[in-house]
Amino acid sequence: MFQRVLRDSDVIAGALLAALGVFILREAWKWEYAGFDGPGPGFFPMWYGVAITALSLWLAVGRVLRLRTEESGAVDWPGVGRALGTWAAFGASVALMQPLGFVLSFALLTFFLVTVMFHQPVKTALLTAVGLSGGFYLLFPLLLNVPLPTGLLGF
Amino acid sequence: METLAGLGYGFGIALQPMNLLWCFTGCVLGTLVGIMPGLGPAATIAMLMPVTFSMDPTGGIIMLAGIYYGAKYGGSTTSILLNIPGEASSVVSCLDGYQMARQGRAGAALGIAAIASFVAGTVGVVLLSLVAPPIARFALSFSSPEYFALMALGLALVVLFAGQSPLKAGLAMLVGLWFTSIGIDLFSAQERFTFGQTSLLNGIDFMIVAIGVFAVAEVLGSLQSRQHTQMLAVPRGLRNLLPSWAELKACRFAFVNGSITGFLIGVLPGAGASISSFIAYAFEKLFSRHPERFGHGAPEGLAAPEAANNADTSGALVPMLTLGLPGGGTTAILLSALVLWGLKPGPMLMQDSPNVFWGLVASMYIGNVMLLLLNLPLVPLFAQALRVPSYILFPAILGISVVGVFGVAQSLFHVGLLAGFGLLGYVMARLGFPGAPLILGFVLGDGMERALRQSLQMSGGELGILVSRPIAAGLLACAMLVLMMPLIGRFNRWRIKGIAENG
Amino acid sequence: MNRRNVLIGAAALSLLSGAGTADAQYTPTRPIDLVVHSGPGAGPDAFGRAFISAIEQEKLSPVRIQINHKIGGGGATAASYIVEKKGDPNTIGLFTSAWIANPLVQESAKATVKDMTPVVRLVIEPAVFAVKADSPYKSMMDIVDAAKKNPGTIKQSGGSPLARDAIVRHVLMSNTGARWSFISFPTGSERIAALLGGHVDMMIIEPSEAGELIRGGQMRALAQISDRRLSTFPDVPTLREAGFNVPNVPQARGFVAPPDTPREVIAFYEQLFEKVVKSPTWQKYLNDNQFEDAFLKSEATGKFFDEYANLMRGILTGAGIKVVR
Repeated sequence: MFQRVLRDSDVIAGALLAALGVFILREAWKWEYAGFDGPGPGFFPMWYGVAITALSLWLAVGRVLRLRTEESGAVDWPGVGRALGTWAAFGASVALMQPLGFVLSFALLTFFLVTVMFHQPVKTALLTAVGLSGGFYLLFPLLLNVPLPTGLLGF
Repeated sequence: METLAGLGYGFGIALQPMNLLWCFTGCVLGTLVGIMPGLGPAATIAMLMPVTFSMDPTGGIIMLAGIYYGAKYGGSTTSILLNIPGEASSVVSCLDGYQMARQGRAGAALGIAAIASFVAGTVGVVLLSLVAPPIARFALSFSSPEYFALMALGLALVVLFAGQSPLKAGLAMLVGLWFTSIGIDLFSAQERFTFGQTSLLNGIDFMIVAIGVFAVAEVLGSLQSRQHTQMLAVPRGLRNLLPSWAELKACRFAFVNGSITGFLIGVLPGAGASISSFIAYAFEKLFSRHPERFGHGAPEGLAAPEAANNADTSGALVPMLTLGLPGGGTTAILLSALVLWGLKPGPMLMQDSPNVFWGLVASMYIGNVMLLLLNLPLVPLFAQALRVPSYILFPAILGISVVGVFGVAQSLFHVGLLAGFGLLGYVMARLGFPGAPLILGFVLGDGMERALRQSLQMSGGELGILVSRPIAAGLLACAMLVLMMPLIGRFNRWRIKGIAENG
Repeated sequence: MNRRNVLIGAAALSLLSGAGTADAQYTPTRPIDLVVHSGPGAGPDAFGRAFISAIEQEKLSPVRIQINHKIGGGGATAASYIVEKKGDPNTIGLFTSAWIANPLVQESAKATVKDMTPVVRLVIEPAVFAVKADSPYKSMMDIVDAAKKNPGTIKQSGGSPLARDAIVRHVLMSNTGARWSFISFPTGSERIAALLGGHVDMMIIEPSEAGELIRGGQMRALAQISDRRLSTFPDVPTLREAGFNVPNVPQARGFVAPPDTPREVIAFYEQLFEKVVKSPTWQKYLNDNQFEDAFLKSEATGKFFDEYANLMRGILTGAGIKVVR
């Protein structure tokens, strides 16, 4: 029973949001609530901080009380893994844009996604990566004068 | 009579071949700017301004304004096809537009967006030419307490976006409020929630949150469920590429609602186009006989916000042309173009330079027709874009998202934030938290806090100012009504159940 | 420009030309990046574009100058970008008074104008106190008296608490002992709309914006924040003439370069910008917008930064705002 409570997504979300609410309240406490010129910077955060804390506790506690009657659905772990893997690759490519620039790191991201996530042959992946990043480069900086992140190599 | 004479004079100017050409150029550029995330109308107009200095000011303003309202036509294209809002004002178009595309009605959705844009654009210009001075006076009677009430109404509408769990929707909205207060507080110069990051001093741009929570999260969600080979079904045949008669009929009130809501909110200098499209969408859902279809590809749920953000452009031109007060970034740069041409925007512009005022207004009638003719043939073309295999489409969506965010913020730090919001959107969807309330809280929160604090500064701390002014009181009463709606619904169901059991 | 400045300028010029023969003359070969801290359309962007278009129309620069937006933090983002560009001769920044004032209270602002190399000061922007056309107040004294009689009833619309309009209010309040409230609005349009709608009593507004609204019968000017009366408002007294013995709070604009920019590069910019400032195109722009020509070269601009920061420190501390540097 206790383990089920700890693994329930609503309980976890409620707890995390309650922590956020407490953090907001702690910060808001440091700022002026009201001054001569009217409400201060702490006024609004104080109120939504209270609301977040209250509602998230309601979510978590309400869920615990109903846990006996409702089963939480099974999680599609391989699917979640694919989604989080994609996200990690995306995050890494954003981090690589500082040294490599958009074109190269986006090509790497595309290559990774096409081979690993979509199980396509390496040749297809190479073509897609080169075609897409080349297309972006032609369209945005060259044709439309829209800036893309540039790396140490200058593109 | 004066108006008709003015319009006649204006058409005389706008129909000159050179001005027609400038209008067409502006509309083409505007459509392009709207379609491309990362290219914004404000930046494009700024880029082209030097070119127009050698032109006659009337031709120049006709072209630059064409970019401004033309961008609203194209803005919905990526919202519908890829769930990436092309402009800040087309975020709401993602909600039902993208769902229509997923059901194979991408062509129909694009067609409805174009028609809604045309209807609302034209209604907006008619209102602009008929009632500009009185409506500008109305805008001036609107101040902080009224803005507060308007934002409160907007937030109350969150109950309409609630979906399964009102509690989770409320939490999502509150987190949106938190994100929007990141940055320097306008009133006290106090830094809030900046974590010592210089890049956060100016807050987070709305587009970053919207693209992250909608587009990036959608890519992650789609990769989770194995729909690998083709993302969306695109039926063949011209008939499937155009809106059906039934769909258009369902939209007829949305066209009117969006046009009027968009125009009225557009006139207010303190509210942006994204607010008007949110409110038009919520009104549409509020008065719909099938509110359950919203968010699942209801054509009227696309038509209302699309109409609103187009009517908004004409509305925003009212204070700019009658008082010299621009309502937002793009109108501000149009205004600075007028100044650089040596014109004097302000209350005397209509008298001093009637050729500019009426020439521009007349050109907008023509421009809207041009935009419709320009956009409808593009519909089948864009609908085909979805035939691209998903292993190309998904990386492309991520790339376009990055370009869009980098175009807005010009900083890799904010592209990193995009990745963060993408993950947040994905996790929220997994846990049953709807994304739209978060965006709504983000859009309205900043203005609401500001308006509340300004109101209390005006009244010396008396809360009475919020209910003693008629417009504010009326709007707040509407907000209360909206909040009570779910309760009334529950009460009715309970009563019907009671009657059934007793009978 | 007054006589003393001309003399200083001439002396600096002769010194520089002397230095110029010793060092090699610098001429840029790549386009110059002009960093502004606002988005397209807002004040600094519009000012920067006007300056560039004057350069282009007069064909003064050997290379193209392009705007680079580093938006955020009231100048903090742009300032830290410029400091990162240490020694780069192809980057300059358009500073406003906010670049000097904001870091005084922002703890997380890592870069200040003191870290950069001053290039030139271009203009000082005057402003006017305005009320709605049908306001009962006929002079600044009327408003101050009303505020003294009923504290907290008079309202002024304005921007950030560090902006010039808020600073002038503090100076006036501490000088007269009157108190009135200050309501912040993010954009100029909202400030003006609040005044025209009768929701606030007064505001401080740029002369070019005020001019049209006054001509249109919507607004009246009560006093001007300037050392001398502006040509477009010959009948409106300056604050001093209206009976307030307060220091003038200047709002300046000009250019800075990254840290460690070589002397010959600064000399190049000084000479280029001096030519621009003297050109008829720029003089017409200044007159249209009622900016005051206040050209200073590098060294004098550096002194101006110090003086202005000291003035602001005093005013901010007096207003109860915490100064961190």
